[in-house]
Amino acid sequence: MPKIRASGLTRTFGRGSHQLTALGPVELDVARGEFVCLVGPSGCGKSTLLRIAAGLLRPTTGELELRTDATHPAAMIFQDYGIYDWKTVLANVRFGLDIQRVPRKEADARAHEWLRRMGLSDFAGAYPAALSGGMRQRVAIARALAVEPEILLMDEPFAALDAQLRTILQDELLALTQSTSTTTLFITHSLEEALVLGDRVLVMSARPGRIIAERRPPFDRPRTGEVRSDPRFTALKDELWELLRDEVGQEAAVS
Amino acid sequence: MSTLEKPRSEEGRVIRRPGPRETRPESAHRRRRTLEVSLAVAVPVVLVLLWQLAATQQWIDDRVYPAPSSIASDGWQRALDGELWPDVWATLKRVLAGYVIGTVAGYLLGLLMGALPLVRAALEPMMDALYVVPKLALLPIFLNMFGLGEGPQIALVAATVFFFVWISTMAAVLAVPEGHRDAGQVFGASHRQMFRHVLLPASLPAVLVGARIAAGVAVLVIVASESIAASDGLGHLIFDSRALFQNDVMFVGIVCVAILGVVFSELVRIAGRFLTPWAPRDRGRGQS
Repeated sequence: MPKIRASGLTRTFGRGSHQLTALGPVELDVARGEFVCLVGPSGCGKSTLLRIAAGLLRPTTGELELRTDATHPAAMIFQDYGIYDWKTVLANVRFGLDIQRVPRKEADARAHEWLRRMGLSDFAGAYPAALSGGMRQRVAIARALAVEPEILLMDEPFAALDAQLRTILQDELLALTQSTSTTTLFITHSLEEALVLGDRVLVMSARPGRIIAERRPPFDRPRTGEVRSDPRFTALKDELWELLRDEVGQEAAVS
Repeated sequence: MSTLEKPRSEEGRVIRRPGPRETRPESAHRRRRTLEVSLAVAVPVVLVLLWQLAATQQWIDDRVYPAPSSIASDGWQRALDGELWPDVWATLKRVLAGYVIGTVAGYLLGLLMGALPLVRAALEPMMDALYVVPKLALLPIFLNMFGLGEGPQIALVAATVFFFVWISTMAAVLAVPEGHRDAGQVFGASHRQMFRHVLLPASLPAVLVGARIAAGVAVLVIVASESIAASDGLGHLIFDSRALFQNDVMFVGIVCVAILGVVFSELVRIAGRFLTPWAPRDRGRGQS
């Protein structure tokens, strides 16, 4: 029984002559504990799919089913962090726990534990404005993971970071997700990122986004960032780029 | 039976499926619009009906709070007789003249002070001090300057509008992102070109918000000043009729002021839509 199942999922924006089909139809099964990466050209509806899964948006047709007993099983990490400037780092990480009315003492303990794992303990009392981009994104990850979500939705979480920091955070995320059994949907522009992190990489078409290919990176778990130098890694990346290039080109020609 | 393991399929599920907005977008949109419009109409209508009921049932003294029906018929009668229009016209003239002068002056000074740090350094403390003075307190000065007549009324509206537009323009120019200025500067834009291509359009949406608020406040101020020092206009009508125990007429004046204010600020808002086609509308658009 898949954790996430989408069938005939589409999404249209606007009405009448301004109508625009952004997504679909998408068929998708994600197994329990699986890490699935979605890659595709800009504007192909990747984020729309994620927002539907998060319950921020309804599909126009079809449905998406999450297997869970919780009412809010998912946590989401946004590209622009979505952390609050008016809360300290600790209060930001505790936010989800506060919303779920976890007792303050326990919430503080869990938040501190996640700050420690993310290497942010020294900044618990600081405001986000004092942090660098990479540290802010660590706060966002800690905030999402602190609620121990069954499903983790990540929308290009590392897109705003520089290449070195990206690599470091990818490795950290790899270590984190392999130590929990969270089901993850991860959106990225970067094929490399998708191949390092994903159990499965799905390639989406230009708008309206459909899933046009699926690859399983042949690297055993637990894996580390060293897979980047595996010859199969490069081969797979080239293969995916071949698939994607036509779609990106199509998008570039249209817009 | 009861000891059997719970099969997986009985695990709960959360399903994201289309709602009425997705399955029937046209009718859902129409229904929503209808609901919004009916609410906007129904709330004031219900309140007026309550007032009417209270007046006819003698819950309130209808000499002090005349029934809406008698206010309406009295207003209609006055409009037909032509008694109402001189006052409306007098107020309208003063508001428009003062508004135009105040907006233009406030906008120019706001642009200058926003764009040129030295001008800002020279004028900001003084302007801040003047900003907090209630403009009605300036009326005696304007009366001394311009004597009786239209002068002081127009000057008062202009002064009020000026400060609203000035402060919102200056704030808007200061808030233009550094990157926008830098891009112009690298191309070698002159001061004039920078105004025309960057500062002016970038600040316009915020300026128009200030101008819309100023439109409402202009009506507010003119009524106050007409009640103190004018022999016609809606402000004069309201206070004069109260002195004569003509409470019907007083309410007719108040209703006219309300209509004038709403129409005026709505016109400014519509003008703003045409002047800034790039600015976001009230209604958010869906994003992918």
